[in-house]
Amino acid sequence: MKQNTIVRREQLIGWLLLIPALLVLSLVFVYPIVRAFWLSLFTENLGTQLQPIFSGLTNYSRMLGDGRFWQSMGNTTIFTVVSVLLELVLGMGIALILNQSFRGRGVVRTIAIIPWALPTAIMGLAWAWIFNDQFGVVNDLLQRVGLIQTGISWLGEPTLAMMALIIADVWKTTPFISIILLAGLQSIPQDLYEAHAMDGANPWQSFYQITLPLLMPQILIALLFRFAQAFGIFDLVQVMTGGGPAGATETVSIYIYSMVMRYLDFGYGAALVVVTFLLLVLAVAITARLLQRVRSV
Amino acid sequence: MSFINFLKKLKIYIQKIPRLFRVFIILFIFPLIVKFVVLPAFSGQPITITVLINALEAAQWQPLVEEFQQQHPNIRLQIIEGPNATDQVEDLYTSSFLLGNSPYDLVYMDIIWTPKFAAAGWLLDLSDRLSSEELDQFLQGDVRGGMYQEKLYRIPFRSDAGMLYYRQDLLEQAGYDPPETFAELIRISQDLQQQNLADWGYVWQGRQYEGLAAMFVEILRGSGAFWINPKTLEVGLDLPEAINGVDFLVSTITKGISPPGVTTYGEDETRRLFQSGRAVFLRNWPYVFALASDSPVAGKFNIKPMVHAPGESSGACQGGWGLGIASTSQHPEEAWQVIQFLSSEETQRKYTLITGYVPSRRSLFNDPEIVAKYSHYPQLLEVIENSALRPPIAQYAQASDILQRYLSAALTQRMSSEQAMKAAAEETRRLLSVNSQQSSVSRF
Repeated sequence: MKQNTIVRREQLIGWLLLIPALLVLSLVFVYPIVRAFWLSLFTENLGTQLQPIFSGLTNYSRMLGDGRFWQSMGNTTIFTVVSVLLELVLGMGIALILNQSFRGRGVVRTIAIIPWALPTAIMGLAWAWIFNDQFGVVNDLLQRVGLIQTGISWLGEPTLAMMALIIADVWKTTPFISIILLAGLQSIPQDLYEAHAMDGANPWQSFYQITLPLLMPQILIALLFRFAQAFGIFDLVQVMTGGGPAGATETVSIYIYSMVMRYLDFGYGAALVVVTFLLLVLAVAITARLLQRVRSV
Repeated sequence: MSFINFLKKLKIYIQKIPRLFRVFIILFIFPLIVKFVVLPAFSGQPITITVLINALEAAQWQPLVEEFQQQHPNIRLQIIEGPNATDQVEDLYTSSFLLGNSPYDLVYMDIIWTPKFAAAGWLLDLSDRLSSEELDQFLQGDVRGGMYQEKLYRIPFRSDAGMLYYRQDLLEQAGYDPPETFAELIRISQDLQQQNLADWGYVWQGRQYEGLAAMFVEILRGSGAFWINPKTLEVGLDLPEAINGVDFLVSTITKGISPPGVTTYGEDETRRLFQSGRAVFLRNWPYVFALASDSPVAGKFNIKPMVHAPGESSGACQGGWGLGIASTSQHPEEAWQVIQFLSSEETQRKYTLITGYVPSRRSLFNDPEIVAKYSHYPQLLEVIENSALRPPIAQYAQASDILQRYLSAALTQRMSSEQAMKAAAEETRRLLSVNSQQSSVSRF
């Protein structure tokens, strides 16, 4: 009985101490989400002189028939999955190299982070020039090698434009993944590998049986971070293609931006935000679940 | 002696106040003194009127601003330089109004922003400021483009309109009159191409951007169709006439009259092709005239209204810039004085002579000084008076995006003309019905 009251008092104090943190969290995260959800139940656009009028789920039913939304959702998904997978593979390779000891390793490690440190808008502009059809480096190189005769309009073709975006994004964010993985690699004790080798395992087996399982937490974190970031990609696309050609690279955040800033349709824009948010949460939950299962096997 | 005592007492008294509190008092009271004592003492200072303009044009405004300053010493006209991209300037205006308390008194607007800004309630109604005689001195298209739901929100400053440029020398050489109809344009082009007089017949803006919608407005008018009726919100994109118009554009590509890359060209790409002498016909805006007069085709070309279907008339897409007053402005009267100055005949004449931009006042097209410098202005007036407006509705930006997407799909032959226009019309109707239902709700 006495034990119980002590526990209860400690729990109470625990909650009291948590209150400031919870308050901050709810102000920063919960309030905007709830506000967006609330707004999405209203019609507030130029047709209503920007006055909110309650309209229930109208915005959501409008979304079902909105081809442009689903196209941008598809674009975002392709962009996210392809670029994050490429980054993971490349980042793993770079991390393994940087984990070896060689002369000048410190310098190389520093250089490897530079792309990540550059402002996205600026590197986006640079990549737009690299892929320019008249003056771009890519076309120039391909022409010198003799692979193509006339310049390819990289950012003018739907598939090529998406490829160009993915290449630029992979270039920029691979260092982020490799740094996280490098930190993980350094926490794996060397004697595990020695013992494994003594048992007759080759390097591939060591990689699959020691490195990958022990690195799983870092891979998981890197994936989740990158997934959420890539899903909300805006600046790179805005600078390189503006969502074109023919909406082939329009991502969800670019579409939402047009809806709110150019069309001034705040109610529908909020509904787009809510659905995108829920889909993102769902996708992250599924990824986390899958990876957890992989880890426990 | 008592004064020194008083100071000493004051010093001791102040030292008793905690230090942090003293700093706070200084920080707090000093601005208050400035605000209520110092600033009112300077109340004879001129009132500042602020306007945001793209940096290129801001530089061209400089002589006008100086002259205004001399005439109105009590008003300070402050120009804020914005980005050169038009849509980024629009974004800056939009966000400043959305956040409230906008720093801009005047709004320098592209013609297609007017309905949106007016519907959002960001502009003052200027209907009572000018008499109908005064308004009649402006080009009618420019005035109509400044109106939303029968009220005037924008006073025209400079005008713009689409037209057909043609190579007079080549046409005379082959014995043709300038074309009037779509079919004539195609026939002449094919003939001149066969005679190897030019690589391409007709170049126009086919990239997916606002320029595509502007170009298409002229095709619609010339085919006898329409885009959206601003009063009834009827959509005419899937009329057979409109589909014929799209077919004409597609045929210029399939018949080899226009280069295949025309679907990625904007104004400047087409201008360069025409200037280099490689094309017979060009659809473009007035700015090309001055540039082409300083190129290999100088003196060899002329302008005329756009071609059209037999029995229809030609239309020139109305563009142009004008000034409105922000509804949040503290000094609407002073802002109006700036508008009066800028839109006056004298200022416009001066601006046209300096920059070559087209004025918005009718009389200036036959003005001796202007005609002496730009001999094509009387013809330009004929073109510009046939102006066709892009639909002046609040949701124009969205409607234009819908049209651009489907028209681009038809031009690149990912959809047939009929499919594309039917889909575009349907989506536009859905957009307008969603919004009109809501506006009828809002009246209750």
